Amino acid sequence: METFAQSLTSGLLTGALYAMIGIGLTVVFGVMRIINLAHGEMVMLGMFGAFWGQALWKLDPFLSLLLWVPVMFVGGMLVYRLLLRKIIPGGELNTLLYTAGLSLLIANLALFAWTGDYRTINLSYGQEPVRPFGISIAVPLAVAFVVALAITASLWLFLSRTDLGRAIRATSQNGEAAILMGVDVERVAMITFGLGTALAGAAGVLLAPSLYLYPTVGELLIVKCFVIVVLGGLGSVPGAIAGGLLLGVVESLGAVYVSSTYKDGIGFVLFLIVLLYRPSGLFGVGK
Amino acid sequence: MNRRLAPWLAGAIALAVLPALAPNSFFLHVAILILMWTLLGAAWNVLGGFAGQVSFGHAALFGIGAYVTMILYLKAGLAPWWGIPVGGLAAALVSLPIGLVCFRLRGPYFSLATLAVAEIVKLVALNWETVTNGPVGFLITGLPPVSLFGASVDWESKLPFYAVAALLALAGLASTAWLRSSRLGAYLVAIRENEDAAEAVGIDTVRAKVLTLALSAFLAGMGGGFYAFYFRYIDPDAVLNISLSMEMVFIAMVGGLGTVGGPLVGAIFLTVVGESVRERFQVGHLIFYGLFMMLAIRYMPEGIWGRAQRLASRFLPKVPGHGAA
Repeated sequence: METFAQSLTSGLLTGALYAMIGIGLTVVFGVMRIINLAHGEMVMLGMFGAFWGQALWKLDPFLSLLLWVPVMFVGGMLVYRLLLRKIIPGGELNTLLYTAGLSLLIANLALFAWTGDYRTINLSYGQEPVRPFGISIAVPLAVAFVVALAITASLWLFLSRTDLGRAIRATSQNGEAAILMGVDVERVAMITFGLGTALAGAAGVLLAPSLYLYPTVGELLIVKCFVIVVLGGLGSVPGAIAGGLLLGVVESLGAVYVSSTYKDGIGFVLFLIVLLYRPSGLFGVGK
Repeated sequence: MNRRLAPWLAGAIALAVLPALAPNSFFLHVAILILMWTLLGAAWNVLGGFAGQVSFGHAALFGIGAYVTMILYLKAGLAPWWGIPVGGLAAALVSLPIGLVCFRLRGPYFSLATLAVAEIVKLVALNWETVTNGPVGFLITGLPPVSLFGASVDWESKLPFYAVAALLALAGLASTAWLRSSRLGAYLVAIRENEDAAEAVGIDTVRAKVLTLALSAFLAGMGGGFYAFYFRYIDPDAVLNISLSMEMVFIAMVGGLGTVGGPLVGAIFLTVVGESVRERFQVGHLIFYGLFMMLAIRYMPEGIWGRAQRLASRFLPKVPGHGAA
């Protein structure tokens, strides 16, 4: 029972961060109908941002969010404006291949610049795990969890309460109707891409103290990210949250009760099953 | 002479003469790589180019071919030149259930499913140690003595590998050419352009796609078998890496989707860029693959071969029975 509670907890904590990465991918898909294969690389850039922030400027990794989130937001908008905007009319397969190229480019530039070494971030605090109810929780993961919850909640408020958030949701539901209602879809798309990139980057910064960093980490993350958004239904924000938590828990329980070597495989098998039987997601929002 | 056969004959003669002109063994090595990538590009192109089904999982098919060829040689003593087609058949066989599962999905969903399949295959290869040797992989220390026309084949020279690679590349291109003029090829183009319409006119789209995937897997599996035979070493990172899938996509995309000559042009481009960059730094070639892929999609979505054809058709008079090659 204690093992169960322990792995359930760590699954939920990791799952919240997965969810954040998934939300980034899913809002971009919702508005632009593109699957951004370079999304994993955006997470990787966030992780390295946290690393270099600490190594070069002695920035606390969690505080460096304040620096990297705006940078990633602007970066994402530029990527959309300068690169993607011209490609999207060419169809979704072209866009998929284009972002695949972008992902290769970013990952390997990073590999070239920073080498393939595995790195870690050492925090000066939180060496000892906290132990509420006898469950041991690593401090960096707990902090990341809380921040991720705060970011997700404020994103939720933004999407449901502000005009821009409503415009994003409207475009996601029906682009043509949104244009007719006077939404500047072009601007919404750019902001959404920036938002998706910023979320990926923020998740990267938050994950950095808990994971090994290496330039090709994005490859594994992007596949997990697909699992999450497909579980929840592409384009659905609540779906991505549920999918992220579900994947985190399934992986964590699977590692304990099935096989730790096939931990990552369990998620992929789940993914295939869901794709086959519920392609619009477990929580069926449809297309 | 038949105008359709002329380019093939010219190509075969050029391939036969090339080794005599090769100044050194590095040149021949590059030629072998180009031929191997031509086969792999052609394998991806029949599915991605003709049927419009973008697979990110071809590394799995390549890897299955490589592992089957290698295991049959090391554990059952089956010589690699028999093992290569058997590896191809094994990949085709594995592709059937993959196809039946993944083809229930369309467009980007299909691509994502193939990505997951490739990751699963890689995990299995890493962990099923009794069969695959896990992360250690396999090494061939020596190839069996063979004599051809009374002379024994020298496995230390590159020439016999060149001959095998040339045959495989020709087989890849020839099956693309066959597909283009076949009924199945017409079905595939219909599926690519509008899947619903294709179904409405009575095409069994799943069957057409599964058959094409099997052909594609057979070619990719033979490519994997050849890789094992030529490099004599395989492990999950070398033959099941996701970047292999991306390189196949790159070749077909940059060369020209859905053309016969595209994979050859793409393979030449990929190998020349790859090898000239590799001399300077280790990982650099993938940076350029990514960059050129983005540039090609932006400025030349029909690929180098496709663009060349379009330019050529502007200047050359149309000859009946001599369609776009």
